[in-house]
Amino acid sequence: MEELLFGIGISAVAGALATVSGAAEDTESDIGSQGDPNSQVQLAPQMGYIHRIYSKAISGEPPAYGLWCAMGAGLAWALMAINYNPVLAIVLGSAIAVFVQGVYATTAYLGRTASLAKFEQPVYIDLIKSVTTVTMAHAFIAIFTCVAMCFLMVNALGHPFPLPLLGLVWGIALGAAGSATGNPFYGKERQYQSQAFGAGVPISASGNIVRYAEAGQRSSLDNGWFTSKMGGPASGVCFGLIVFLELWRTIFFEGFAAGWGAVIAGIVLILIFMIIDRYVEKWARKTYGPYTEEAAEEASA
Amino acid sequence: MSALGGGHAGGDGMNPVAAVVGLVLLILALGIIYVLSPGMAFMALIGVIIGGVMIGFGVHFVPVGGAPAAMGQSPGIATGVTMLAAGAGLAGLFGGAWAAELGFGVALAGGAIGGGLMMAITCLMVNVVYVYAMGIPAASGKVAKDPITGDTFEAYKSKGTEGHGLPFISYVGGVIGGMLGGLGGTLIYLELLAVYEAFLPAALNAQAEQIVPLAVGLAGIFAVGLFLINAVLAAYNITGTIEGPHDPKFKRFPRAVVGCAVASAVCGLFAIILVVI
Repeated sequence: MEELLFGIGISAVAGALATVSGAAEDTESDIGSQGDPNSQVQLAPQMGYIHRIYSKAISGEPPAYGLWCAMGAGLAWALMAINYNPVLAIVLGSAIAVFVQGVYATTAYLGRTASLAKFEQPVYIDLIKSVTTVTMAHAFIAIFTCVAMCFLMVNALGHPFPLPLLGLVWGIALGAAGSATGNPFYGKERQYQSQAFGAGVPISASGNIVRYAEAGQRSSLDNGWFTSKMGGPASGVCFGLIVFLELWRTIFFEGFAAGWGAVIAGIVLILIFMIIDRYVEKWARKTYGPYTEEAAEEASA
Repeated sequence: MSALGGGHAGGDGMNPVAAVVGLVLLILALGIIYVLSPGMAFMALIGVIIGGVMIGFGVHFVPVGGAPAAMGQSPGIATGVTMLAAGAGLAGLFGGAWAAELGFGVALAGGAIGGGLMMAITCLMVNVVYVYAMGIPAASGKVAKDPITGDTFEAYKSKGTEGHGLPFISYVGGVIGGMLGGLGGTLIYLELLAVYEAFLPAALNAQAEQIVPLAVGLAGIFAVGLFLINAVLAAYNITGTIEGPHDPKFKRFPRAVVGCAVASAVCGLFAIILVVI
């Protein structure tokens, strides 16, 4: 019983760490513009819209976070092998991984933006100085919490995988959950804030991203504030639920029916999420109704 | 014609020459392992091939809209095919590896459910963001009616887009894709783990208990590698975006099945030969 309670407590802590990790990951990727909507940031100068948006999408979020989390976990594991305190080892491992992220972000911005020289898009040095460090700070939170979560899985819950491999596995899953959930909010609601609410962006508007703020040109730094309103927390809840429910169903139900209890619990959970999804879909159809052009024009006005 | 002046890249057909070359490679890989170690290692390679095929087939179910989905211009999840499939499959592998000591069947089912659960939560949160943060209901661009719920989409589609959001058929496709990915990844892991646990003690002249961490680490990293290889191959077959099992592109899966079987056989050969020789 005591072991079960301990396991559930660790699952809750790991779920909480995953929630923070997911939220920080999406915020980092939106500030640095690493998700799929960055295609529009890259396209805008080609359509004649010069901007001051950061651009570091030379890799998808999942492999990038797979690399950084595996690196953070690997370094932490190596430091622990020479008897470093685990907390210090995870902090140091994550910090060194963040420097790699910083190098990645700087070279990615320079490379991506320099490739647009023929469209007269400048490389802004002040952007590198101001935005890169902010993405690094958010990346540190995401990597540290993810590696700490992996450490709990290995040392407290006894998962057989070594820490660096778990860092890779959960880093990729973190990037997948964060990009899947957060990208539409960043793409449609932020880059195309001027388009009608409640409708998709017409393909003919591609490249015409919002480039001006209340005063002066829009900075990517403000994406952090915007993401924290919905995309970041939603990504955090998504990754937190994945980690917590995966651990919870295993720890709580594995004792039933020679391990099949956890499988049955998983099937029940999938069916519950399926029912909630169908409810959300029906609610949207009923509440918003069919698409009407007049309503879209009113909303944009 | 492609930009490089090559042949037609898309379509559903299978290049006969490429298929024959692939099958020769597949038979060659199986033959080499059969000659070296006809028992356990040979069966493990067959397991690796089946796992790889499951991953490649499963990726076709995952509804991925890529960059256009992030602007609500096309339906699906706004990320890359490989990215999402890998995320779900590896979450499944985590669960399957954890349950490995409880038996083959439980571990495989645990891996499948782990991948399915990851996709179930992710797809739900995607719809939550579309509906509650963006005010956009789901509308498929490929079919007029949802094959499961019977919902019609034409009236809900925004002007100038190919549809948006995640219709229920895509949600179910995502869960099935995650389950197949988790199942395939776990199968590869279990087969390789069994081979390493059997052959490593003799190869390294060590006790069976001593090599367990090495066997688990090696099998895990090879399983992740094989997963990514098969997911990328399937993504090339899809070329861009797919809505799920109702998408016409889904019919291309036989080509991916052959490709993934060959790639898994060749990569599996190297993963197994490492300890068998």
